[in-house]
Amino acid sequence: MSGAWGVRKKPAAFPVGLYSMLLFALCWLTLPAVFAPVERWLVGCACLVPRTLSAWFGEPAAARAPEAQQRLQELSAELRRRIAEHDVAGASKLLPATYEPICCAVLDAPRDKARRGGGGQPGELRLDHSYAEVDGCCELVTKGNALLGFLQRPGVGIADGDRPQDPARVMLCNHRAARPVYAEMSMPEGAAMHLVVAAAAAVDPAPLRADLWEDPYRAARLGRGGQPVHTETVADATVLVPSGLELGRTRVWGYEQHGADEAVAIGVYVVPPVEPRALSFVVLWRQAAGPRAAGPPELRSGQVQRLPATVYDLPGVAYGRHLLVVGQAVPDGAAVVDNGLFLGTARGLAFGTGLMTSFIASRHRWSLILMPDDPRERPRELEGEILRTEHDDAWLRWCSDRWSTAHERLLPGYLFTGSNGACCPAGLWIGRAEPHPYEHDLLRVTTPRERGPRAAQVLVAGGRT
Amino acid sequence: MRRWLLWFLLVPQGFLLAGFWRDVGLPAIDAAVLCCLFLALFADRNALPWLLLGVAIGRALVDEASLPVQILVLGVPTAVLVPMRRLFSGQHWAWQALAASLCAVTIPKLAGLCGRLFDQPSASAHLDGYAVLRAALLVPPLLFVVRRLPPCRYFSEVV
Repeated sequence: MSGAWGVRKKPAAFPVGLYSMLLFALCWLTLPAVFAPVERWLVGCACLVPRTLSAWFGEPAAARAPEAQQRLQELSAELRRRIAEHDVAGASKLLPATYEPICCAVLDAPRDKARRGGGGQPGELRLDHSYAEVDGCCELVTKGNALLGFLQRPGVGIADGDRPQDPARVMLCNHRAARPVYAEMSMPEGAAMHLVVAAAAAVDPAPLRADLWEDPYRAARLGRGGQPVHTETVADATVLVPSGLELGRTRVWGYEQHGADEAVAIGVYVVPPVEPRALSFVVLWRQAAGPRAAGPPELRSGQVQRLPATVYDLPGVAYGRHLLVVGQAVPDGAAVVDNGLFLGTARGLAFGTGLMTSFIASRHRWSLILMPDDPRERPRELEGEILRTEHDDAWLRWCSDRWSTAHERLLPGYLFTGSNGACCPAGLWIGRAEPHPYEHDLLRVTTPRERGPRAAQVLVAGGRT
Repeated sequence: MRRWLLWFLLVPQGFLLAGFWRDVGLPAIDAAVLCCLFLALFADRNALPWLLLGVAIGRALVDEASLPVQILVLGVPTAVLVPMRRLFSGQHWAWQALAASLCAVTIPKLAGLCGRLFDQPSASAHLDGYAVLRAALLVPPLLFVVRRLPPCRYFSEVV
């Protein structure tokens, strides 16, 4: 059966070495940072063969036509203008006229268990502005007319290890250490009831919980949820929160009314209007000397450096895997772009190479922004994942903010990246998005794909474009 | 030493070759199932951990998940099948076809499970019935050829 090289062995019952390797792989997964250089080197070595052969793949294609580049820049500028306009509207009417808005991009919403807030959702955000840059801003962090959370100060509370030059941290209302907020709920019969809204537990069904009621007896008879909850100003509060900022809508857990038996509410939760994992931009407020300037504030470009790279198709490219030749180290998750067009994310390897997975082949959860064609519509911040791919199209399952009504269909438009880490900033154009004809939570995403080697850029955190 | 060099040089590129095979329009072959079956049924048991590492590196070239996830995805079906080698003592084609289809089902399922557990989802987690059928029909004859060629030939176990 085998040749002279065959190994003659007595059959052993169990391959202990193999089991040890599986155990080692589990250790590897629990300490990824320790073993990352080993992985980069091992897979990087395997990439040397296709890298050597890439010389025969042909010359990289030239950059996109100037008209196409111009169109992408226009779309990006339009997105930034509409985001700034819609994010500021709402809260600007409720805050004093001397407060001017500062639009900040979200770098990261940590999802690790230690920093998970109420409802199991992220309880913190990191912004693209440093503490020093937002010095003088009030603590309120808003989006539209919703209160998201509170800006932290370096060296205090959860930011005790932060320095003034570090990215500013926002404690969302569902953070376990967040201060409770005085609120008012519109009752079904038309009256209002005062309450205190605090962070729920991580295992609770919603991020916020109604804590103290003005009239617990009436609250216990709440039959159904969906009532809007807004902030209320209390004179002796430590932080002045203006009245009317939206906290969310109620979700009631308990027994519904049956015949003569009255409804009994066991727990009342508040579902915020914003999905924290989908957040890409938030608004801070700073007291200015004079009245607020007219028009939306400008959004600042991301602090990223562009490394020139060449993207080569690997065999089986239809499945979205590419070889990336950069010439220097690339961080994992860095965005690969072709003059504003998002191609995919990189996995950095040794020897100045990397592997790129195209957007439509990736199965990660993405933070995305959909800019509807109708210029009056607000851009939607979505969280979604690709379910399946057909040629150059992908089907994306999304969940959006809860300002959208139930089963609301998204409008067709252009899809951009949201905030997916420091190396994958918001506002990179992905492609065209159309809603599925029957399933309201599916989007068909069409991306332009070109075959063959082409010049690209890898975005790396640090520096400025 | 030479056989190890050949293994780590050729086996990872085998995954790219499988992609090329598919690109030219031939019926797709799951290189992961082929390698898994070779490791489980024919490979030298003492060399299994390092043989598995070479295969995992190859799969990491074409799949989004990280190297340790590939080790688990390929290693678990191998580890389950190795103690059952005696069942396959006749190495009958039907048994190999059965083992190949089991691997073709298990590998995507494990990829999905590891993706959820370790937050490393990948497109290979999708189970395709035709891929299972193709694995059952194509992998045994291909394995018959591959295990007679270097580098697999150098690691075949003779009972």
